[in-house]
Amino acid sequence: MENKNVRYEKIEFLGEGQFATVFKAKDVKTDKIVAVKKIKLGSREEAQDGINRTALREIKLLQELHHDNLIGLLDVFGHMSNVSLVFDFMDTDLEVIIKDNTIILTTANIKSYILQTLQGLEYLHVNWILHRDLKPNNLLVDASGVLKIGDFGLAKLYGSPNRINTHQVVTRWYRPPELLFGAKQYGTCIDIWAVGCILAELLLRVPLFPGESDLDQLTKIFGVFGNPTEDNWPGVKSLSDYIEFKTFPPIPLKSIFTAAGDDLLHVIESMLVLNPIARKTSTACLKLPFFSNKPAPTAGCKLPLPQNIRKLAEIERLSLKRKLLDSAEGGTLSKRLFT
Amino acid sequence: MKDVIDVMELQREKSRRTTTVDYRQLDFKGGFTPASFIFECGKKLNGQPLTLATAAVIMHRFFKEVDPMGYDLFLIASSSLYLAGKVKDDPLKIRDIINVSHNTLHRGSSPLEIGDEYWNMRDAIVQAELLIMRVLKFEVGTVHPHKYMLHYLKSMEGWLGKDTWETVPVSKLAAAFLQDFHMDPAVLDYAPQHIAVACISLALQCYGVQLPLMEDLDDEAWYAVFVKDLQKDKHWEIMEKIMEVFNKEISSH
Repeated sequence: MENKNVRYEKIEFLGEGQFATVFKAKDVKTDKIVAVKKIKLGSREEAQDGINRTALREIKLLQELHHDNLIGLLDVFGHMSNVSLVFDFMDTDLEVIIKDNTIILTTANIKSYILQTLQGLEYLHVNWILHRDLKPNNLLVDASGVLKIGDFGLAKLYGSPNRINTHQVVTRWYRPPELLFGAKQYGTCIDIWAVGCILAELLLRVPLFPGESDLDQLTKIFGVFGNPTEDNWPGVKSLSDYIEFKTFPPIPLKSIFTAAGDDLLHVIESMLVLNPIARKTSTACLKLPFFSNKPAPTAGCKLPLPQNIRKLAEIERLSLKRKLLDSAEGGTLSKRLFT
Repeated sequence: MKDVIDVMELQREKSRRTTTVDYRQLDFKGGFTPASFIFECGKKLNGQPLTLATAAVIMHRFFKEVDPMGYDLFLIASSSLYLAGKVKDDPLKIRDIINVSHNTLHRGSSPLEIGDEYWNMRDAIVQAELLIMRVLKFEVGTVHPHKYMLHYLKSMEGWLGKDTWETVPVSKLAAAFLQDFHMDPAVLDYAPQHIAVACISLALQCYGVQLPLMEDLDDEAWYAVFVKDLQKDKHWEIMEKIMEVFNKEISSH
């Protein structure tokens, strides 16, 4: 067997998570730049549990999944007592893009990012897989503007009618009300809620529901959509952790997303529905008028990315091109959507 | 038809004997594998049937790649169970696996104290898990015949008619054949769809069930509506392999 530790030449240290360290590396066999995720063995206690479940989930699922908008698992190898996963190298992620105030996100840009997210998600759901941890930080973007869903450490097959799942999934700000109420059986609707929150965040440039606790999270959600009732969400009161909240009147979305068009608001309304059953599926969302209306989604190579990613020359060339294009369209200025 | 009836005879014989196997006395050279050990331990651990099937497949694939004489069969079997639990999100706890495996090998012994012996076994299982992963090139996903069998049987429910379906336990027997076929490494050699069909065929023949509307079409196989690429001789070959499992088991006692 070839020595894989030699095949992937370390370039730089990228980051460290709870379970792994990630390096940027060059595949000397193909000259391709890749990301190598080395699973930590950690303390003796952890080593005694053997191969990390999170890593195993990623390996098992990603080996069978192939889609432009999902992170590609290129290789897996073991060296000594380590396991390393080799992924497509991604330059940045949506969290960085959202927080970068020098980047202007037009409707066309937002459309492109959400479209790519939904296409990846549709493929996942068609293959009976829930991601269970969608957030801007897990939507990776490469230098050519391709968005890929990453981090499958919490992903799981769904669809077994009697399967009990944990409700302790999804980063709180993107967690849907049914999970916060303790639902143990759920489906694709939990991922759709998260995409709705991400879409809102692309518009607002801050998280829509930055809850500080699970209760605060629900308070923030009901503060916008009003309280759930047995009428708009049959069965809500039988969820194990259901509690009564003080009454909030719903706020019209238009007053939160002042710069968003009606077709875009319609997308948000279709995703962020309290009753999980009433949330549209990714396939149905993709058919909403917003995605076929003008403006067309920005082409990948024209999506705005943080400064350091595209070489300056390239940026200049693009901005020049954009100026030319804008003037051709009658000088419409890209408006920054902000409240 | 004759040898099919023999299988039933063997099954009846088997159920009459209520022996507990001493695995340490078995000779694994004659193509026998620790799969029955996996199923016995897995059942005690309350593992899902698919988890146990995964464990058996992992174990067979491992021994296909390496020389079985170089490894402790029961260690690999226990480690396969542990790995299968992770693969199938059916968490089998490592301490339970150690205690159940130990007690199944040394019948009547009490649970292991937390001491050197326990920690050594735990260490060995974890090390073997990584070894298995590497030998299998990290490809641990399995396409099981079970899901195909479920759909075929579901479609046949209407075909056979309510009366036959409710009086003759075809699906139960087919499922039993499928589980038992996992004792044999041959389970790796055939397409999951083909295995599913062969198990159902064997069950139908055991009970002498004739599918309605098929009498006049002798040149066409009943399963042609489900799989197009299963030749008659291949179909027969798999059925024979399934029956051999029972012969092997009898002769090893």
